[in-house]
Amino acid sequence: MKKHLLLPVVGLIVLVVSVIFYFNQSTNINNSRDEVSSLIFVTPDFYNNKLINENTLGEFYIVNFFASWCKPCLLEHPLLMEMKKKGVKIIGINFRDDEENFKEWINEHGNPFEYILKDDGTIAYEMGLIGVPETFFIVNKIIQKKIQGPLFYEDVESYL
Amino acid sequence: MSKAIYKIIISLLFVHISAVSFANVNELSDYYKTVRCLVCEGQSIQESDTEFAINLKEQIQKKYNSGISIEEINQELIKIYGEEISFNPPKYHILLWGTPLIVLLIIFIFIRNKIRFFNRV
Repeated sequence: MKKHLLLPVVGLIVLVVSVIFYFNQSTNINNSRDEVSSLIFVTPDFYNNKLINENTLGEFYIVNFFASWCKPCLLEHPLLMEMKKKGVKIIGINFRDDEENFKEWINEHGNPFEYILKDDGTIAYEMGLIGVPETFFIVNKIIQKKIQGPLFYEDVESYL
Repeated sequence: MSKAIYKIIISLLFVHISAVSFANVNELSDYYKTVRCLVCEGQSIQESDTEFAINLKEQIQKKYNSGISIEEINQELIKIYGEEISFNPPKYHILLWGTPLIVLLIIFIFIRNKIRFFNRV
């Protein structure tokens, strides 16, 4: 092979190999869960002790992680109350919280949730939670959207 | 005599149990150092006191105590949180990181050859 061709050929090989590995990496990263954790349907509701039947939730529902110690949760609370009024079913998951503080919080600010589950962190782990508040939009049993941090009207308007 | 043997056996058993639990704690804390805290990037969950890190450590410990291996726990973590959760990248990333070095090496060889060529001229 001519010497002046060596560099471009080696460069091309490196480029091709890099592109192949880049696409291989992309497909491996995108494997986080797309369904909600089954633990949600085997954990009894905090108030009435009943299990949630996913079939009664309808095509669209929301799973919202919150805690009484979480200040940003208060920011989205009025929006959750409004969504409840508009008929959106919200499963509230109380993340690593003191029971008394949690009850007081609900009494003080209102209950926007159809169901409330207490979570010691196991459901959060299975759902890949990073912090509270965090909200999952479930359409036809598939997680369509995930919002980390407080919800804003723009996040939910297309669902109302 | 039998009492002395009995005491020695009990002591050895105690030492063995302590050594095993110490090794387990070490294995877990070594593993925590390889798990990235996603809310305080740059820190591992071993160093972090955020709710995320505390919960992750508890969940990992629960799984480990129930007999699941570190390797299996790691695979599950990557499945849930993606590869960014781990400080230990998969091997194919090393090739990507190594590519600039290969390119630099090629450029170095090319320049050296050119210099030799001009020196001859």
